Amino acid sequence: MHKLLAGVAVMGLWLGCLAQAHGQQMTEMYIPIGQSPGVSGKSSLAGAIEWVNPQKHTLAVSGPSGIQEILLTDRTRIWLDRTQARLPNLIGTQANLHKGLKVEVKFRDADKKRVAEWIKVQVTESGAPARKP
Amino acid sequence: MERRVRGRLAVGPAGVLPTPVVAACLVILTACNASPSQDLVAKGRQIFFNETFQGNGRTCGTCHPAENNLTLDPAFIATLPPNDPLFVAEFNPDLRKNFENPRLMRQFGLILENLDGFADLDKKFVMRGVPHMLGLRTSVDSPQGPRTGWSGDGAPGDGSLRSFAIGAVIQHFTKTLNRIPGQDFRLPTEEELDAIEAFSLSLGRQQDLTLPLPLTGIVPKRGQEIFLDNSLGKCNRCHANAGANANFGGGNIGNANFNTGVENLPDQPADLSGELNPPDDGFRATGDGTFNTPPLVEAAETGPFFHNNAIETIEGAVAFYDGEAFNSSPAGKLLAAADPNGVGIELDGTQIVAIAAFLRVINALENIRQSVELLESSRSKGIVRRTEAKELITRSLNETQDSIRVLEGGGLHPEAVAHLREAQTFAKKAARSLFFRDRLTKQAIEEHNKARAQLVESS
Repeated sequence: MHKLLAGVAVMGLWLGCLAQAHGQQMTEMYIPIGQSPGVSGKSSLAGAIEWVNPQKHTLAVSGPSGIQEILLTDRTRIWLDRTQARLPNLIGTQANLHKGLKVEVKFRDADKKRVAEWIKVQVTESGAPARKP
Repeated sequence: MERRVRGRLAVGPAGVLPTPVVAACLVILTACNASPSQDLVAKGRQIFFNETFQGNGRTCGTCHPAENNLTLDPAFIATLPPNDPLFVAEFNPDLRKNFENPRLMRQFGLILENLDGFADLDKKFVMRGVPHMLGLRTSVDSPQGPRTGWSGDGAPGDGSLRSFAIGAVIQHFTKTLNRIPGQDFRLPTEEELDAIEAFSLSLGRQQDLTLPLPLTGIVPKRGQEIFLDNSLGKCNRCHANAGANANFGGGNIGNANFNTGVENLPDQPADLSGELNPPDDGFRATGDGTFNTPPLVEAAETGPFFHNNAIETIEGAVAFYDGEAFNSSPAGKLLAAADPNGVGIELDGTQIVAIAAFLRVINALENIRQSVELLESSRSKGIVRRTEAKELITRSLNETQDSIRVLEGGGLHPEAVAHLREAQTFAKKAARSLFFRDRLTKQAIEEHNKARAQLVESS
């Protein structure tokens, strides 16, 4: 009985500290829109920004299946994809999200497709202000 | 299925065709019969060791060299020429700063990784050892998804082993720190990712052991008992069957991350060097302090140990779990909480050495298994595919050398070592011989089997 309780305790504690599987986000920044392995063309949304609501921290993206509203959180990473301009990609902010820009969105929960884990925004050399990586 | 072709046995149908012709036809058939998966593995091997992805000259094999168990250690690094691409930070001006730390690389086998981002390259990086890639098929899966690299989150995209190469190219292959795809490197194609994944999964063990093994050595046998004893060594809880998966009594729960307190070890070699060595927070950015559980079967031949190469010897690595850093860590406290006496792991010197002896023996057994497999495979190449056969024998020789090294390092099984040396002699002769290769290879296999019989009772 004691062993059983100990086993249950170990299991409970173990599950408590169990880390969730997770794609490494740092090198993701340098992968151009549409080329993220196992994500692009499968679980991400690619399209153009329809509108941005900075107060509600949302944006709408028109994709193949219509317009979709997406929620941004403090943990949502935004990257400026400047690969086409042959310039290094940059860390962006919500201020870099503008109507008409091409984006790719990876959702935190691929099934619910509501909260963005990361957003890549395609910009040119003169893209909106951004922090240097 | 590959078919063995041996001149003497290749008798023509009803004696119509002369033996050499039949042999040649069978060789061609053998080549044609390579399965799609074998082709993919071969393609992956070619990419892994030769493709630079138009970057700074490194390949995957630069940090995962086949001749060094797909990992790096200071002794191996010391054998490389100054212009080896591993040292690209020493001769490429664009990579001189913030790409590697050559001193920590050469002295401790450490590689620089920007796992918490590229925003502050001067201060924000971690120095990590190179994990070997043996037995990946057994050590990546978990119910929460794949776990790659030291912190279990080594791959971008979907985080899978297949995606790992993309992140590696961006981090390690770039010509400049701008990291612009198409300019500083090219990203692997979908086909290349498939091939590299197939090759990676083909390396080493394809399944876990089933412990206990009927070991013959008194000390390794005791080491195995302690390893499996959930009230003493407790090793088997997180390294079930000396693999990388956890089992807390309810069955295999896959590969897991734990905070074992390695970062809290005092006097870490890299810290002693005086070089900047920021703390490594493990999984995620900002990290939770956990690191991935590696398999142990291959441990004895793949030191230094832990994500930061903090400990050089397998005995030292086992002793870590008896120390303050582990027992005051979340993982150590977890074990203590489940112990009736509130003890985490408490071992004496003889017990530490016994566990290490056990790990050395199972590593040697795996080396022998691979050596025999490679030698058998070389025999199947026949007389025509001599180059391929020779390469397989050479790889087998590397495995045999590893088995000798891990046994001798622990003063274990000198009789087995003698047989392994004999096996080496036969295999070397086989690699050189044109006419007696098959016989010599067979003799090498016999010596391996004799060595194995010294380590473990035959069933």
